[in-house]
Amino acid sequence: MSEQTFLVLTALAEEALHGYAIVQAVEQLSEGRMTLRVGTLYGVLDRLVADGLAERDREEVHQGRLRRYYRLTDSGVRALQAEVARLSANVRAASAVLRGRGVQTWASRA
Amino acid sequence: MGEPGVSNLERRYRVLLKVLPRWYRQDREEEMVGIFLAERDDDLDLEHSWPGWGETGAILGLSVRTHLAAGAVLTGVPAKVVWRGEVVRALGMLGLLLGLFYATAAIVSVVVGFGRPYQAPEPWWRVLELGPVVAFAALLNGRRTLAKVAAAAPVLVSMITLGQPGSVLTWSVFQLPSLVTFVCLCLGFHREAPTPPARRLLWWGGGAALLGVVGGFATGVGLLSVGLITVIVRVVAFVRGDFVLGRALSLFAVLQLVPLLFLVVAGGGVLVPAGGLALLLVLAAVAPVRQRVRA
Repeated sequence: MSEQTFLVLTALAEEALHGYAIVQAVEQLSEGRMTLRVGTLYGVLDRLVADGLAERDREEVHQGRLRRYYRLTDSGVRALQAEVARLSANVRAASAVLRGRGVQTWASRA
Repeated sequence: MGEPGVSNLERRYRVLLKVLPRWYRQDREEEMVGIFLAERDDDLDLEHSWPGWGETGAILGLSVRTHLAAGAVLTGVPAKVVWRGEVVRALGMLGLLLGLFYATAAIVSVVVGFGRPYQAPEPWWRVLELGPVVAFAALLNGRRTLAKVAAAAPVLVSMITLGQPGSVLTWSVFQLPSLVTFVCLCLGFHREAPTPPARRLLWWGGGAALLGVVGGFATGVGLLSVGLITVIVRVVAFVRGDFVLGRALSLFAVLQLVPLLFLVVAGGGVLVPAGGLALLLVLAAVAPVRQRVRA
């Protein structure tokens, strides 16, 4: 799973969001490292919807503009859960190696 | 004057979105414009700004992925769009198989010529002729970027040799298959496209390499065999109702025809085998394609 997909899934895990809110949430989650371009966002959303990990929610008109909301499906929650478990295992393994070298990491402090 | 109440920036974004297919725009244009213009309420900005390069690049990428869509990845894709994507990918693979043939033939001809008296040393850049072999292996292993870079190698070789006598027309004619293969790989194998079925394609790759060995000893026989196999598989695709393979082979036949016809015309006469093959390739190119209706 790419970092973009992971962050979009994470953003949608909290609540259903419209496109612009997803862009903002991803920027916030990545602490400003990642700004999703619109073309990239829709590539990720298309893939998530086709894979059944996300689906369309409601539509609203805000200041004369269409806003379409997307929400996570149960499969999406499970996919995110599995990815979190995978990444956590990697972080634990890397932290253990670094601890062995006497380097303190964020994970070992937590 | 444009539509009243519509800013220049919105108009520019809408023009940019025209690179996307109509069926995609109908569903997504308003939503996308809403994101582009969210929180942009400065009059000067709305009048004078243009879509950024990054945004333009991302939309162009999305355009390729939607115009040449992979069926399983997008929902609501019209059937002909999926076929278009699959035909481009199939043509890219056929081009790579042809490249594999040429690469093997090149290796064999170098090996056969090795040690002969008065044999000139091979120039270093001939190693680039092996590009399609690397590209084929990389693509089957899902290494798309490497495959695309390696597929560019034969084009690079021909650009090096362009400095040698010969017109640009001749160069273009003979490089058409390599150029088209490279473009098809770049466009067709985008990140949403499926990885080609490795096991089945290995058989095809083996066959192309085997023909290449024949071609290394006798170029004409090898090329005639490639053309004949194209025609035979084209007939099989028609009988089986394989629309994608049929269309891709029609285009592949054209790619082989162009240099062949050029040789025939430039040669001032028609050799019987070359003329016969050209005729068969013309038939393969223009013959109808059939779609098997699934029950």
